[in-house]
Amino acid sequence: MMPFPFSPHTRRAFLGKVTQGVGAVAFASLLGRTTARAASAASARGVVWPLPLPQKAKRVIWLTMAGGPSQFETFDPKPKLAAMHGEPMPESLTRGQQLAQLQGQKLVCHAPQFPFAKFGKNQTEISTLLPHLGGVIDDICLIRSMTTDAINHDPAHMFMNTGAQIAGRPSMGAWVNYGLGSESENLPGFVVMVTTGPGRSPQPIATRQWSSGFLPSRFQGVQLHSRGDAVHYLSNPGQTTRAQQGADVRAITELNREHDAWVHDPEIATRIAQYEMAFQMQASVPELMDLRGEDARTLALYGCTPGDGSFAANCLLARRLVERGVRFIQLYHRDWDHHSLLREELPLRCKETDQAAAALITDLKQRGMLDETLVVWTGEFGRTPMSQDNKGTAGRDHHNKSMSMWLAGGGVKGGIVHGATDELGYAAVEDVCTVHDLHATMLHQLGIRHDAFTVKFQGLDAKLTGVEGANVIEKILA
Amino acid sequence: MRRIAIFLFLAALPLRAAPATFATRVAPALEKHCAVCHGAEKQKAKLRLDSYAAIVAGADSGPVLKAGDPKESELHRRITLPPHDDDFMPSDGKPPLSALDVKVIERWIAAGAPESAEFDAPAAPVVRVAEPAAPDYLPRLDQARKLATTLGVRLVPRSRVTTDGLVLRTASAPRQCDDALLAKLAPVADLIVEAELSRTRVTDAGLRAVATWSNLQRLDLARTGVTSAGVAALAPLAKLESINLTGTKVDERGVSALKANPRLTRIWTFGTPVASSP
Repeated sequence: MMPFPFSPHTRRAFLGKVTQGVGAVAFASLLGRTTARAASAASARGVVWPLPLPQKAKRVIWLTMAGGPSQFETFDPKPKLAAMHGEPMPESLTRGQQLAQLQGQKLVCHAPQFPFAKFGKNQTEISTLLPHLGGVIDDICLIRSMTTDAINHDPAHMFMNTGAQIAGRPSMGAWVNYGLGSESENLPGFVVMVTTGPGRSPQPIATRQWSSGFLPSRFQGVQLHSRGDAVHYLSNPGQTTRAQQGADVRAITELNREHDAWVHDPEIATRIAQYEMAFQMQASVPELMDLRGEDARTLALYGCTPGDGSFAANCLLARRLVERGVRFIQLYHRDWDHHSLLREELPLRCKETDQAAAALITDLKQRGMLDETLVVWTGEFGRTPMSQDNKGTAGRDHHNKSMSMWLAGGGVKGGIVHGATDELGYAAVEDVCTVHDLHATMLHQLGIRHDAFTVKFQGLDAKLTGVEGANVIEKILA
Repeated sequence: MRRIAIFLFLAALPLRAAPATFATRVAPALEKHCAVCHGAEKQKAKLRLDSYAAIVAGADSGPVLKAGDPKESELHRRITLPPHDDDFMPSDGKPPLSALDVKVIERWIAAGAPESAEFDAPAAPVVRVAEPAAPDYLPRLDQARKLATTLGVRLVPRSRVTTDGLVLRTASAPRQCDDALLAKLAPVADLIVEAELSRTRVTDAGLRAVATWSNLQRLDLARTGVTSAGVAALAPLAKLESINLTGTKVDERGVSALKANPRLTRIWTFGTPVASSP
């Protein structure tokens, strides 16, 4: 059980820290004073301290392919499925099992739509739609045996992000910052960026996916926009100078402290911290987002131009964020929900993400940062080996019994494939992994024991990894 | 990984058969778990388990050993009963023998319970004690924290192992970290095992201070103003394993100067005048 910082006793200490620490720091450093910059060092500390495990990964970049990419066209080759194309799916696999939009429909095998090729020193087979990821496959740990509990988008996203299908739990980025603290004084510890491709209707995603749940709201993810204003309403209005803005924030902070003196509400501390973080970000975000300092070689590596708002630009920004000490970065790329138009649309999504994701690995590696940065690529669930034909040209339905995802860096073995599905790819059968296992592994690499990392909530010791039990996936650790 | 291997995965080490004797493997286990009640002080059931002769002599109820047959040996039966059984030994909730000790005793009896001859037993796990990375930080942790707070940097324990050293972090405000600040870290110089100085204002002058951090293993100087001349001053760092020079002006001369550091195996030179990263 971790001590919880907003019980009445420690809350005092916590508030004191925030008001004298972060608050003072904000103004001190910006206005050229040096007296109080310091208390920040203490306030940055997380609740898990010292770390129980050696820290292999200092930060996480989590690439979410929202909608649920098909593993059969990306990472899980299934020649047997191709051979059975158009034939009925064996009932032995599917009888009595829950499906999303195919429930009660005729279940027909649907061949992988694109060829696979062998990449890397271990001749790992992945789709020819992903040649760049093929080029860095020796740095990738591919998991073909991931499973999830949920079968519809929103609960599946909640499960992948918070370990529970029902909204209200803290997301992993919030947990990690709560546990480890933030290293960055002038940027949030948890940053989210969403790319909406030029494709068709993008998958809905919601801010509850990066919520802090029952943790203090200063741990929630902060969304940066890669096009236009990075943070809405962050710029000062017309004639306001930075000094005036600073004076305003200072006055508001004083009022908030006054309020805090007689109302016991930890959210006041959060509000003070957020005002000051926003003031900090008015200076730090424009510098962060300005890609003009990146050389042409780097821009070409990712395949982006400054300000284009692409997934590639967000991957480059993710690298810039980790350089600035941001602990947890989550990038969303939408539009992987191919119930139909699989052949037509999936290659486009691959093209939008393949080079950039590979570039992120290459770039982190050449700068000596991949070792300490855990990169994760995953959807919220997988897709069926059966075709779905009731929405236009063939696609695949949601599926939770098999999905592929990968990790790189952060003390995870590169060039390996972990786990396998049955010969038709319906279910994970070898080294089956759960989302809770993935979370446990991620926390392990960050130096945290998942089973001891708890917060009392509604009478329970709540954990990111839930109550069913979770296992660190030891086999993939370097 | 090495540290994990030692602290976490010990139980998973394969146990190979290795020659053992009564004196090296059986007697220590009995001494540790049994001799309190069956030794010089007390002789419950008139049994002593603190010498070979006494074990062979048995208890008031009869022998406790049947050489060659663990299943028929009272000694083995008592330590392999379910722990809640009234006959289970050690009794009264005293700590039970480890699975490994039980196995060793089983193999010893199966081999005829020899007094001095060797028998095959599961190897005792080799506990490799990691070389301490640095002196114990505990006595100086408060001092380190106060110093870090004054300077506006962080000094955090690398792990709960108190000889694992401290990590110097500056990412929260890299531009506040300069050469003068590094010099002020002298009181904890020997505790710093990792230093994250990327994007700070550190220059060659600051590396003279870094060169005195005798237990430093990892040094990140990415995008700082250091040059080959400064890097050459790091030669005294005998434990340095990796250095990140990304985006600095360090050239081949600097990299070749680093050959003086015996443990240095990883050097990043992306974006430097060095032609290609090693």
